Amino acid sequence: MKAKITFGIWEAIMMLLNTICVPLLLGFPRLMIETGGTAGWIIPIYITVLAVLFFTVIQRLYRNFEGKDIIDIAEIALGRIGRIVTGILLMLYIVFLVTITLREFTEDMKVIALINSPISFVMMFFIAAMVFGCYFGIEPLVRFSSVIVPIIALGFLFIVFGVAGNYDINHLFPILGNGPRAIFIDGFFLVSYFSPLVLLYLIAPFVRTHKIMKITGYTTILLSSIFFTLGTLCYLLVYPYPISIENFLPIYQLARVMEYGRFFQRIESVFVLIWAASAMSMLSIGFYFVVYIFRKTFELDYRRPMIWSFIIIIFTLSLFPPNLMTVLELDKMYYSKVTWIISLCYPILILLIARLRSRNPEKEAKTR
Amino acid sequence: MSVLSKVGKRILRTLIFHEPTLEKTYILEESEKQDVFGEGPKTDSKNKTDPGDNTNQGSKAGTADKTGQGKANNTDPGKKPGSVNETGEGNGRGSEKNREENDNSKQNEEGSPGKVRKILKPIPVGVDDLSKDGNDSGKNKGGQNGEDSKNKKETQNEDSQNEEDSQSEEESEISTDIKENLEYMKNAYSIPLSGDVVIREFDITIGEKNIEAFVIFIDGLIDSTVLNHFVLEPLMLLSNLDIKYVQKDIKTIILKQLLPYNQVKTVSFYKEVLENVNFGSCALFVDGLNVVFTADVKGWEHRGVERPNTELVIRGPQEGFNEVLRANTALIRKIVLNENLIVENLKVGRRSRTPCALLYIRDIANKTLVDEVRRRIKSLDIDSITDSGELEQFLEDNTFLPAPQILATERPDRVASMLEEGKVAIVMQGSPFVLVMPTTISTLVQSPEDTYMRFPGGNLFRIVRFLGIFVALLLPGLYVAITNYHQEMIPTDLVLAISAARERVPFPSVLEILIMEISFELIREAGIRIPGPIGPTLGIIGALILGQAAVAANIVSPILIIVVAVTGIGSFAIPNFSLALSLRIVRFAYIALGAVAGFLGITTGIFIQGIIYAKAKSFGVPFLTPFGPKTAGAAQDDFLNLPIWKREERPDYLNTGKRRKQDSISRKWIVREKGSDES
Repeated sequence: MKAKITFGIWEAIMMLLNTICVPLLLGFPRLMIETGGTAGWIIPIYITVLAVLFFTVIQRLYRNFEGKDIIDIAEIALGRIGRIVTGILLMLYIVFLVTITLREFTEDMKVIALINSPISFVMMFFIAAMVFGCYFGIEPLVRFSSVIVPIIALGFLFIVFGVAGNYDINHLFPILGNGPRAIFIDGFFLVSYFSPLVLLYLIAPFVRTHKIMKITGYTTILLSSIFFTLGTLCYLLVYPYPISIENFLPIYQLARVMEYGRFFQRIESVFVLIWAASAMSMLSIGFYFVVYIFRKTFELDYRRPMIWSFIIIIFTLSLFPPNLMTVLELDKMYYSKVTWIISLCYPILILLIARLRSRNPEKEAKTR
Repeated sequence: MSVLSKVGKRILRTLIFHEPTLEKTYILEESEKQDVFGEGPKTDSKNKTDPGDNTNQGSKAGTADKTGQGKANNTDPGKKPGSVNETGEGNGRGSEKNREENDNSKQNEEGSPGKVRKILKPIPVGVDDLSKDGNDSGKNKGGQNGEDSKNKKETQNEDSQNEEDSQSEEESEISTDIKENLEYMKNAYSIPLSGDVVIREFDITIGEKNIEAFVIFIDGLIDSTVLNHFVLEPLMLLSNLDIKYVQKDIKTIILKQLLPYNQVKTVSFYKEVLENVNFGSCALFVDGLNVVFTADVKGWEHRGVERPNTELVIRGPQEGFNEVLRANTALIRKIVLNENLIVENLKVGRRSRTPCALLYIRDIANKTLVDEVRRRIKSLDIDSITDSGELEQFLEDNTFLPAPQILATERPDRVASMLEEGKVAIVMQGSPFVLVMPTTISTLVQSPEDTYMRFPGGNLFRIVRFLGIFVALLLPGLYVAITNYHQEMIPTDLVLAISAARERVPFPSVLEILIMEISFELIREAGIRIPGPIGPTLGIIGALILGQAAVAANIVSPILIIVVAVTGIGSFAIPNFSLALSLRIVRFAYIALGAVAGFLGITTGIFIQGIIYAKAKSFGVPFLTPFGPKTAGAAQDDFLNLPIWKREERPDYLNTGKRRKQDSISRKWIVREKGSDES
């Protein structure tokens, strides 16, 4: 009999935290400032409130489906077709997420450290990490996340506080930046940055109880919010608005201004270690769930034989965009604006239907 | 074809000899054949089962005997140690009634071919036999097989069959006829070919009767003085004295009145006799008795209890294990000092039957863990084993993981402390390294000194060790990565110094570092192999001269010598040799990754290594515990030490019987009565 996979709150939080916060190391602060102007740091707080609201609805609806993932619930709601549609939809979303992130990280890595290397060569290192991660499964991935993510978080904090000497409070004015409309209407769609929370609905069977799921969700949103806000705020404090929207890697730019005496002047390369570790962890987990969802949706027995097929697909897709600018445009147009529908609204819809379809889900769950 | 041929031959043999499994290895006497072939009755089964005098000789409590071959294998931790062993030494063979029956059966054996005992004799291996096929000699001597046995393939196929036969022979019961027993033992030990096996024949006088007897032992394994004074002398001299024999049967008289030695057992099977003699006991055969007395008189030469060679500490006990099983278990027991410490005797190896001891504290260790360790040891199907290093490899979960998953230590205090935590230990005869399991990454970076030293000092050592691990694993790779891809992070003055030093070096930095790393490994390996005190000296001088000469010849840069030397020193700071070795192996991968893709390559390496380690388990416990998965009490002493009074609980991941190891206020003296506080 196959051993049941379970993991604790800490592991689940660390895994989700890294998956959600990865954009912070890419273009998240810049996009916030583009949207909200000097009030860009308020948007993370605002979208956190929205994410909490969405999650509250979802977790309340989820109460009766303890131990089931969203695909199981889709089957309860809409039958076999529902399961397949939901599975494909989620899979496409994660494939998109992984593909975009993979390309962005690869391009940025090339620009920062490996200028002379071809893009496919740089990408191979991320691909190798994804293959290894997916091959060994979710258990080692979350375990390793629980070790590496605190180190990444410390590294991030080191950067944002390490540049404290360059803070200028005047960069935050005017306090409402581009105005309330920009913050609260345009900013609404940026709640998409919490869309990786959908992974929580997939790991529901692994975290066992609804209570753990609830704690994990709220804690992850809160911690992500702190990092998002801190990153954007510090970036804005260091760089004035006109310059801040020009940098394509905000946190890296922050690291570049760090200077401690004559000896420690250019330590941003250390940032590459943190950055790559975070990317590999996120991409591996994302890739694992692509394969996992496919296996679960189509009720296949094995996962590992599909790894090579999917990695070739993702590798190819990530090379489709002709340049980094196209990737950033895709990120801005679709990932940041649309994915909230799939990850936050669609689960609500599924859960509502499932709840309506099964008047007594607890009893049904037992009989199942 | 070979299968068909084999089947055909088997059928032929069965038709001719009725019993194809016995004719190859054993010589069957004419009278015996009939019994073996089912024509005569088997040995008097009544004797075997009749419970009578249930004395546990030598040690009435029935606790594990000194030789490690005791039968009080209380596999159930809940079973009281000292309960009557299941194999039942002296299970009634000494009763008067049985004695008479034995005598009768003996007479029957002599008189009636139809009622002979089943005696199987192993073929003595002579010099001539060694040059022949083993099966050949068996068949020729037995005269039962006319087939040509030159077919080597068939011989190989039949080996396993022979082994089964050999086992059944060893499990056969001891004869009451001393001549047969003598013949059996001579054959078994190939006497006189084996020069170190000694048989001493003599008579025991009991009352008016002279009874033939002999002892067999292996010279060099036993203590001659003990044998002479406590076994032979009483039997040969004291038995002649006018002793009032209150017992009537010979077995009881010998056991209770003539053998004053403290560790005597009675055994009923040849297999047990051979095991005991092989492990330094002497076996006493007495005519008319179908049991053998084995006295644990072992006294071979061995190393004393010395300082551990690989785990030296400044503060703490200075005793280390040696190669003697019982000395090692005693070293642990004298630290644990608790009756709940269980020492289970196990044997490993079909041929060697190497004694091992499974140690755990009954009311602390997780029963599932103990069962799992026992199951793995018992499941081993191997011929022989020499050292616990081999045993470790047979027991570990993942062979290809560079890091060890079982801790090997030569410090009794460390084993005792881990047993107190709820872990399980295996002591093996012949190995000064005791295995402790389960082992996690944090265990491997701990040293017993961390606890013995005061809290700040212990933590400083721990931090230095982490630094050592980082340096030993990553420094050469980082050097290559920085010099090739991330020059901008080197401060200007330093980068100038490095480039000036490297100006005349013709090799790329990766080749440069590989040359030096391989040279360093060569020096290290050669230093170990060179005998005596020259080794370390040569190592140091070799490294210095080689490094100096390499720099002078512009083959490597001076900064690289520093990098390699610091890496070497870092690996020596790691308290566990196996972990240090694993880092030495993986280091080369990091050099390659650093050379190929700088920090990105190194991060990829760290990620993949981390995933592999996160996947690994040691007896069901994830290797990265308590960090990934995070378990309760991780901060207690796994990363850094808390003050000793704050280390209140045993590791969560062990699921021990007793979680707390000390009270929340362990230093009761700090609790003062109300009003007595001066502040």
